[in-house]
Amino acid sequence: MTLHRRTLLAATAGLAALPHLARAADPVRGGTLRISVDQAASVLNPLLTRVIPEYLVTGMLYSGLTLLAPDMTAKPDLAQSWSHDDALTTWTFVLRPGLTFHDGSACTARDVVATFKAILDPKTASPARTNVGPIDRVEAVDDQTVRFVLKGPFADLPVALAYTNAKIIPAAIAEGDLKQLSQKAIGTGPFKLVSFEPDRRIIVERNPAYYDKARPYLDRVEVLVYPDPTAEASALLSGDTDLISLASASEFGRLANVSGVVPLRIPSGQFLNVNMGCDVKPFSDMRVRQALALTVDREAMVGFVAQGYGTPGNDSPMNSAYHFFAEQPQRKPDLAAAKKLLAEAGYPNGLDLTMIASDVPGTRTQMAVAMREMAKPAGFRINVQTMPHATYLDQVWKKGSFYVGFYNMQATADAIFSLLYTSDSAWNETRWNNKEFDALIAEGRMTGDDAKRQEAYAKAQKLIHDEVPSVIPVFFDLLAARRAYVEGFLLNPRAAVFAFDQVWLGAGAPKRPA
Amino acid sequence: MSLRWLLRRLGLVLYTMLVVSVIVFGITQVLPADAATTLLGENATAEALAAVRTRLGLDQPAAVQYWHWLSGVVTGDFGTSMRTGQPVGPVLMLALGRSLLVAACALLLVVVLAVPLGVVAALRRGGAIDLGAGLLSYVGVSLPEFVTGTLLLMLLADWLGWLPATGYVALTDDPADAVRHLVLPVLTVSLVLMAHISRMVRSETVDVLHSDYIRAARLKGLPPGRIVVGHVLRNAMLPVVTVLALDVGYLLGGIIVVEEIFAIPGIGRAVITAITSRDLPMLQAAALIMAATYAVANLLADMALSVLDPRIRYD
Repeated sequence: MTLHRRTLLAATAGLAALPHLARAADPVRGGTLRISVDQAASVLNPLLTRVIPEYLVTGMLYSGLTLLAPDMTAKPDLAQSWSHDDALTTWTFVLRPGLTFHDGSACTARDVVATFKAILDPKTASPARTNVGPIDRVEAVDDQTVRFVLKGPFADLPVALAYTNAKIIPAAIAEGDLKQLSQKAIGTGPFKLVSFEPDRRIIVERNPAYYDKARPYLDRVEVLVYPDPTAEASALLSGDTDLISLASASEFGRLANVSGVVPLRIPSGQFLNVNMGCDVKPFSDMRVRQALALTVDREAMVGFVAQGYGTPGNDSPMNSAYHFFAEQPQRKPDLAAAKKLLAEAGYPNGLDLTMIASDVPGTRTQMAVAMREMAKPAGFRINVQTMPHATYLDQVWKKGSFYVGFYNMQATADAIFSLLYTSDSAWNETRWNNKEFDALIAEGRMTGDDAKRQEAYAKAQKLIHDEVPSVIPVFFDLLAARRAYVEGFLLNPRAAVFAFDQVWLGAGAPKRPA
Repeated sequence: MSLRWLLRRLGLVLYTMLVVSVIVFGITQVLPADAATTLLGENATAEALAAVRTRLGLDQPAAVQYWHWLSGVVTGDFGTSMRTGQPVGPVLMLALGRSLLVAACALLLVVVLAVPLGVVAALRRGGAIDLGAGLLSYVGVSLPEFVTGTLLLMLLADWLGWLPATGYVALTDDPADAVRHLVLPVLTVSLVLMAHISRMVRSETVDVLHSDYIRAARLKGLPPGRIVVGHVLRNAMLPVVTVLALDVGYLLGGIIVVEEIFAIPGIGRAVITAITSRDLPMLQAAALIMAATYAVANLLADMALSVLDPRIRYD
């Protein structure tokens, strides 16, 4: 067993950063932070959350074994260190000493084991079940040590365990009635729940028993729901709120040039794509998919769909925000080549197709319409059909053969590929079922050797770029905005991860009753 | 107005609500997707869907589901929300309270401003007030709430900075701040209502002014003030009361857009969220509340009519 190299790296990086931190303004304790979110945080049970405002709230109330840093590496959270055997099939995590839940009870290895049993139980229906890695069983070695025995070698386990739904809950609840967690929160997170009104306001307060004595800095955080983006921006501009956790592109321009407001923007792996059923005509012919990809002007797409706040896609779900990203030659529009490919595939007179786009988010429809116009000169006659999101989920998603998808960034190459593109993926939307690709992804997950992983993932990215199971024209930047006095807030490219224990209020913050 | 009439009307209200609940339940059954689909979203696997459906009781036949719901309602239990797991009753009561507050303020403003405005416009036909009121009315009627709301928001909150932009503060939290937050939504809603109520009062008043009995009153030598208050207003108000009652219904269901813009977590927003998430218990209860307010407001209007006009009798 060896100490995991990343832990060591993280520790040394932390040490190196210390003198630098001391030079910057020191964090101050106290104050109330008001965050706005764009939709209700309906679900409070951390094993069941599924939209970003819910992740934001449960992220403050609960902790995982590890947490996902903005550079997509795993950092210690409840687990202070971890190690693995040479085969990458047995992992041991050591918890911090003296952890307690919000109700004062101790958080031990037994709670971790019970939590993962609940996550892996299909009856719980936790999204984490298919995202935390090939876990066979979890055992408590002693009060502070947990052992994960995997079904096969898996190099990304520490990052996978930082998954948004893999939060540790008390064993008594995990083994008993999980429903309790829809109304109250008993976690180990930096904040404790004060009140929960999902459609309006969620209030949390500082947890004095948090494992890090210095943090959190804030006394209280209020999460306010603003369904209308214009109103959400106005609230920040007028000083009603201090932070927009995720701003819409349409309002970002208005937030960018105001004194006292600091716009935030980072590239992310969030993307829109057009999925094609590779098992049905005409998409079973790779040349049709390549032809469609060749019609798309990706620069124009960034301007039109992401309002300039994005980067061109290249038909692979990975971009520079990911580890093991391997750049491919950028695909540029070439209508002559597209026409030729279509003719070779047996469609010299073009093709009639119906593309389905759900209405949430609105960018799906925008992209569908732009694609229709871009593809028209090459002979694609696309009829765009929009529908309500619930109907789409029920009737089209994973079932249709030509529709617009929208996905958040995942933490690792393995996570995004085995979620969407491998033959056994949870949401095998394209039915690409490419054996060579499957083998490359398996190779990547089974070795701890970074050079070998880089090679395998590079080949996989070339393959998916060449064969185009889905056209990915655009990646979105993550946008946010804060008042100037909000310090220590960092956007995480994964979008679903926040670290409010690091945030503090600097000079000029309004005094609010606690 | 006899007690028998009142009881019969109340019985009708209950019957209406029962019919509404059956219709709403029936519609949700034919809608594509259910609460399990929307809850899991793009995390759905066949296994997870089945587990969630069992947990929510969606795997049972529709008739059984409806029966469970109805027997709960009869005992005052509206069930728990499929989306949040919260009890429906208290959550909706809270939302209803907020909508009622906006509605009451708006209604008060309309009665206090629009009725006199309409009467004055009618008495001084073609004058400055009449033209001004007419212009305001046409603007109010022709601009949808999301335009007037956004314009008011940009003017009074963004540019002038007099009022907080949006959001809702409870009266119990901070009364002064709560009132400041109420001004913009109440103004937006009232502008629409004010327009058609003042137009209506004006045209009714004009009609009444031309009637024989007003001429008789004039010839009799009654002072103009008494004619207007005692005869004109009383008769012109009859249709206005009926319309105001319908407006109460609009205020409780139709201000969804305004609730959305100003982030007021009222009953309108509750309905929208319930529909998009296929949250049956929440939707059913909200529909009942709306139906009940419409029915009760109409009942009250009918009662008010009989007070205003003694010729109207109910037995």
